Amino acid sequence: MTQYIKQVIATAVFICVCSVSIMAQEYQLPKYQQFKLPNGLTVYLMEQKEVPVINVSMVIPAGAIYDGNKAGIASLTATALKHGTKSYNRAALDEALDFMGASISTFASKESSGIVAKFASKDKEKVLGMIKEVLLNPVFDKTEFEKEKKKLLTNLEQQKESPRSVIPAYFDKFMFGNHVYGNIIQGKKSTVRLITVDDVKAFYNANYLPNGSAIAVVGDFNSKELKAMMTKLFTGWKKGNNTNVSLASKPIMYSSFNRVLLINKDDARETTFYIGAPGVTRNNPDYVAIEVINTLFGGRFTSMLNDELRVNTGLTYGAGSSFSALNNGGTFSISTFTANKTTEPAIDKTLEVLNNLHKKGIDEAALASAKNYVKGQFPPRYETAGQLAGLMTQMFWYGFDESFINYFEKNVDGLTLEKAKTIIATYFPKDKLQFVIVGKASEIKSIVSKYGKVTEVQIKDEIDN
Amino acid sequence: MKKICLPALLFLNIGLKAQMKASDVQSFKLKNGMKFLVVEDNSIPNANMYLFYKVGSRNEHQGITGLSHFFEHMMFNGAKKYGPKMFDRTMEFNGGANNAYTTENVTVYTNWFPSPATEVIFDLEGDRIATLSIDPKIVESERGVVLSERSTGLENSPWNGLAEGVQATAFQEHPYHWPVIGYEDDMKNWKQSDLEQYFKTYYAPNNCVTVISGNVKFAEIKRLAEKYIEPIAAQPTPPKVNIKEPTQSGERRIMMQKDVTTPYLNIAYKVPESKNEDYYALSILSDILSSGKSSRLYAALVDKKQIATQIFTNYRESFDATTFDFYAVTAAGINENEVEKAIYGEIEKIKKDGITENELQKVKNQKLMEFYSQVETINGKSNNIGTYEVFFGDYKKMFDAPAAFNKITAEDIQKVTNKYFIKSGRTVGILKSNTED
Repeated sequence: MTQYIKQVIATAVFICVCSVSIMAQEYQLPKYQQFKLPNGLTVYLMEQKEVPVINVSMVIPAGAIYDGNKAGIASLTATALKHGTKSYNRAALDEALDFMGASISTFASKESSGIVAKFASKDKEKVLGMIKEVLLNPVFDKTEFEKEKKKLLTNLEQQKESPRSVIPAYFDKFMFGNHVYGNIIQGKKSTVRLITVDDVKAFYNANYLPNGSAIAVVGDFNSKELKAMMTKLFTGWKKGNNTNVSLASKPIMYSSFNRVLLINKDDARETTFYIGAPGVTRNNPDYVAIEVINTLFGGRFTSMLNDELRVNTGLTYGAGSSFSALNNGGTFSISTFTANKTTEPAIDKTLEVLNNLHKKGIDEAALASAKNYVKGQFPPRYETAGQLAGLMTQMFWYGFDESFINYFEKNVDGLTLEKAKTIIATYFPKDKLQFVIVGKASEIKSIVSKYGKVTEVQIKDEIDN
Repeated sequence: MKKICLPALLFLNIGLKAQMKASDVQSFKLKNGMKFLVVEDNSIPNANMYLFYKVGSRNEHQGITGLSHFFEHMMFNGAKKYGPKMFDRTMEFNGGANNAYTTENVTVYTNWFPSPATEVIFDLEGDRIATLSIDPKIVESERGVVLSERSTGLENSPWNGLAEGVQATAFQEHPYHWPVIGYEDDMKNWKQSDLEQYFKTYYAPNNCVTVISGNVKFAEIKRLAEKYIEPIAAQPTPPKVNIKEPTQSGERRIMMQKDVTTPYLNIAYKVPESKNEDYYALSILSDILSSGKSSRLYAALVDKKQIATQIFTNYRESFDATTFDFYAVTAAGINENEVEKAIYGEIEKIKKDGITENELQKVKNQKLMEFYSQVETINGKSNNIGTYEVFFGDYKKMFDAPAAFNKITAEDIQKVTNKYFIKSGRTVGILKSNTED
């Protein structure tokens, strides 16, 4: 049975988890302790006793930026960690976790790989032991790996049934070109087909190192007892040399003119599109101010984009914008979708709204509303132990601390109209726009060619440019 | 095998260690019939308000299908005091955000806000319940929005089209027959009078349960409710949905075409509504079949035989007799009939041999962890309290649920499997690229 909602919030939020604010007077980041093991692993512990549950979040410098010519290997390696360990074969591990109602998930993202776990406090010894096993003693069983690969190859094909699922990868590749931030996390059929279990072992040995990694544990436990437990579990993880560290810091060559990537989908009933431009790095000093302005432009229901494309014209179910920020670069993107026949008015309207942001700007009342909204919607983002564990690994990865969080409200309040104008002029694009459009080429090609030089590809083919 | 089932009492004790218990929910009813459930929780300086209207696509008829969901949209488009756009603008200016959802059974409005905004939220809600204005011009642009919503669902997921087809086949008379989003032609033709009538009939305070959780005080909520909501007049009780789906007497099959990589399957068995005594056993059965990689279907079809890439089951809350659904995606190079047969094979095993005590305890442990997740946030609290109040007749049942699940035995599971998972009660839908062979 289905349900339909007013809006898909996920399309319209500032996607970086670390964009936090806080009710400074009423709420500070709860107390936590932090220590480093001799092997370089950073550990965070925070007690939270609302429910008898513990959450773990871990970050390891082993993301898709290290894929090299084996697109998909970081993701496959993360998945394969759970294919069995010295003490548990794959089925025994799954069975034991399921029996406790516990979960351990392993995954790769663009810059890093990660582990997220949730379990009852009474099972902490057992599950923390399993996390250690998965991380330190994976056996990379060949049969399990081949099964996984077969499933992945089918999934890569199936994703093409949904424009919304594939467009982010096309967008990143189009924006970043050959820079490692353009790497496709899930990989491509042609590369995945060739990856062997030995490749995965090699990737694991090179990249899964305690130095440069962090683990945060939040929930119902005693910190002293847990500190001893964590120290015992993870001290044996051998320190190593990560030779890859500088890959992402290479310069990014953004396009200097308008371009259109048209991805033809013969049976498309609607056109799905992103309009993008270079964004910011996570450590940009204007990060908070950018979030406030983006809230007004495309980050909430009454935003300029959603108001014009949905509320005033009914062209789409939803339109929004976001900044995706990594350590060495980022993107800005506007995203929406519309019926084939309204492709042109929808793109024109989007550009008109962007143009209006520069031409008409924003006023005092709009700025006040955005500030209130960003502040008011903050606390629920850090309500659960899982959210707090995630926050701490983000702090580690992007190098900010709780002072940033505790002064967030002050920073939001400090944004003046004058400064807002500078933010718009500096960070929101006027030109050199990058259009990534999934739709029925036979109906929309002549329309989209007016926005820039068109490159047409087939959704059934592999992502290549 | 050794029985390792936790005694019911111990189970409950674990449950109570969670901060929340039934006595934490305070309640009152206004003279116009609107019921309020309130949870004071100051863990964050925020609160929420969830309004559960007992209206969904089951209250529609052909010609106005999709209207419940359309109304969910129109409720944001202006009333007397807060005109067009002002509901959202006022809420966001005050630091609040909102959303809403519609199902076959209910329409739920959700507001999330810093607690100093509580009075504004009451004012906004009271205004639109009492004096919604249905502007024909806005109706037209909002029609475009829901048509886009329908289209983007069909564009991005093969499940939408297939599930609609299966539902339409499983239910031939009962209003679960049509999709919540509505038929495209009905969506293009709802009339002003249809909308006005619908609002008057269903958007009555006596047809709504409101749940508020967060950094609020019960006495203050009561005062605000009396000020902003109580003056709104009650309406006659909405007409009952009388149609009962006749007993299905034979398997039904449909085939649909879409350009997909491998075939998609949806198999739906007729099962009873949430208030039925078999609800808890069927809910556990669903988890035994598909929750986690060690579940029966995942282990057999995805892992061992590798004939499917995805498998899951679903048994959701409903007012009327509903379906228990199986969903599977066929692996490359495999015929979908093989997947279908393997699903039946797993069902037959449970019918014949039952389940193990270990499996049962596993699901009970999972249910307890689920309960913790539900009470960990103020939103989880409101949504679940409201769901239990509306679908099970009493919010207290949420707190009884761990015990109710704990009472279920392996024999109960085997019994419900034999009772409901019969060939003549199922509808099978297959979606694939080539439907000509």
